[in-house]
Amino acid sequence: MERPFALEATDITLRYRSSGRGIADLNLEVDRGEIFGLVGPNGSGKSTLLRVLSTSTEPDSGTFRVGGADGLREKRKVRAKLGLMVDRPTHYGDLSGWANAYFFARLYGMKEEKAEGALSELFEYFDLAAYRDDRVKTYSYGMGKKLALIEALAHSPEVLLLDEPSLGLDYTSQLALQRKIRDLASSGVAVILASNQVDEVESLCDRVAFLHEGGIVAEGTPEALVSSLQGVRRIVATLRNPVGYEPVKGVAGVDRIVPEGRDLVVHCEDRPGIVADVVAAIVRADGDITDLSVRRPSLEDVFVKLTGEALRDED
Amino acid sequence: MRINPPDAYWKKDVALFFGKRFALLIKMLYPMAIIIPVAASNIPAEYAAAVIGIVAVMAGTFGAGESLTIDLNDGILMRVALTPVSPRRIVFEVLAVNALLDFVQLFPALVAVYVLHPAPLIWVLAATFGVFATLVTANAIGIFIANFTSSPADVLLYATAILFPLIYVSGFFRNQNPEGILAFLRNFVPFAYMNDALKAVFGLPVETAPLSIFVYPVIVCAVLVFAVCLMAPRLLSPRL
Repeated sequence: MERPFALEATDITLRYRSSGRGIADLNLEVDRGEIFGLVGPNGSGKSTLLRVLSTSTEPDSGTFRVGGADGLREKRKVRAKLGLMVDRPTHYGDLSGWANAYFFARLYGMKEEKAEGALSELFEYFDLAAYRDDRVKTYSYGMGKKLALIEALAHSPEVLLLDEPSLGLDYTSQLALQRKIRDLASSGVAVILASNQVDEVESLCDRVAFLHEGGIVAEGTPEALVSSLQGVRRIVATLRNPVGYEPVKGVAGVDRIVPEGRDLVVHCEDRPGIVADVVAAIVRADGDITDLSVRRPSLEDVFVKLTGEALRDED
Repeated sequence: MRINPPDAYWKKDVALFFGKRFALLIKMLYPMAIIIPVAASNIPAEYAAAVIGIVAVMAGTFGAGESLTIDLNDGILMRVALTPVSPRRIVFEVLAVNALLDFVQLFPALVAVYVLHPAPLIWVLAATFGVFATLVTANAIGIFIANFTSSPADVLLYATAILFPLIYVSGFFRNQNPEGILAFLRNFVPFAYMNDALKAVFGLPVETAPLSIFVYPVIVCAVLVFAVCLMAPRLLSPRL
């Protein structure tokens, strides 16, 4: 008999009555041990999809199964198989971090000894052991995120739903999280990672789906998606002072210009001489370039190419 | 039995209740600060009984309604609802533990009343049970209200709209001797049984038999608890 997918969603549609936005006819299959990335700008439907898959909200139509259990009819079975981290985790502020995590571990049916063992290991892993008995209201945002990760992982879920897990984490914790996700995937856990941190998605995920206006516009391995952008370059010029970039727009072959802080990111065709033309245009606009790099396209560029929109709000 | 770290929803509430010492002191003192002066004063017995009743009704309704509304807005209750624990069990535990903790708050003040107004044991037990039934009812109302509220101010508004008619029907202040439809409706409100038992403790003659205080409010409370638990999946769903 064929083993079911770890997660299988068919024709999921959920429209918010207030705004008419949501997701429509989404199909998704995630295998055991696979890390699946959901990428899209704010409002594209990532969190809505996770809300449905977490059994928090019933879709208007469509079905989904987690580890073979029906997401609409067997909610409690599905919940037991899921590890969940929402984008804005909340805790009982007057309880300690340990008490919060222990509470959730026991609600997921873990026995006392097993819960204590798993939590000790995770508190140690995420460098939270020294703060385990402090009240959560004294935690920083990043510590709260780590605690939410611990709560999501402690009961050894079959499927992990993570919404922007590394947002707000320090660099060391981000690396620890990535290592943990890889370890979990290699032990057979399916991971669904909704994130706009394209570097992280590109390095971690086996497959990626781009969401735009509630639908999947492209899906594939990061390598396949990026290689679909052959003939595109990404020039990043770091400027001493912000300048008007009208002259750069006029350069033949320039598709799009995105200012990101002190950087000017120029998406353009890969034609001979285009880097020199772009630099000359910046200099003509009185731009003082302090650093310059020509990078291969990233997943972000793929998204821009597909939808004409940036993944993140422009500065 | 270990309460902290908690391994069940009700233990979490108990741990939070006893966790903050200053807040706990206030919680334990305020019912006494209101009830004991009233019990020790010479105000008419029916009004003394009414004051104790009002304290119980308000403590129960606002306690459950406000804390649930805050937890729902915060998102933490939604997170708890996404564990494999049944939403009905969560709501039942919220109701049961809140009613018990409210009772713990009121009990010392009730003991003071019984000391100041010695009454037959059966009426003391009936009044104590009547107060507990009132707390269960008030908490059920608070949880029902939390289905529609988004802030503590909303709780106040909705609670006022629901509680005032019930308090009137129960005969706390006016309508002491209801007739006709009001007398019939009074039978279905647990507050009324508590009010009668407290009047008896304060020495007033009442028509209600002590035994009925142990029977009818239980039936009404059971129906209310069942109804509130039925609403649990809706209460613990995100409001879109």
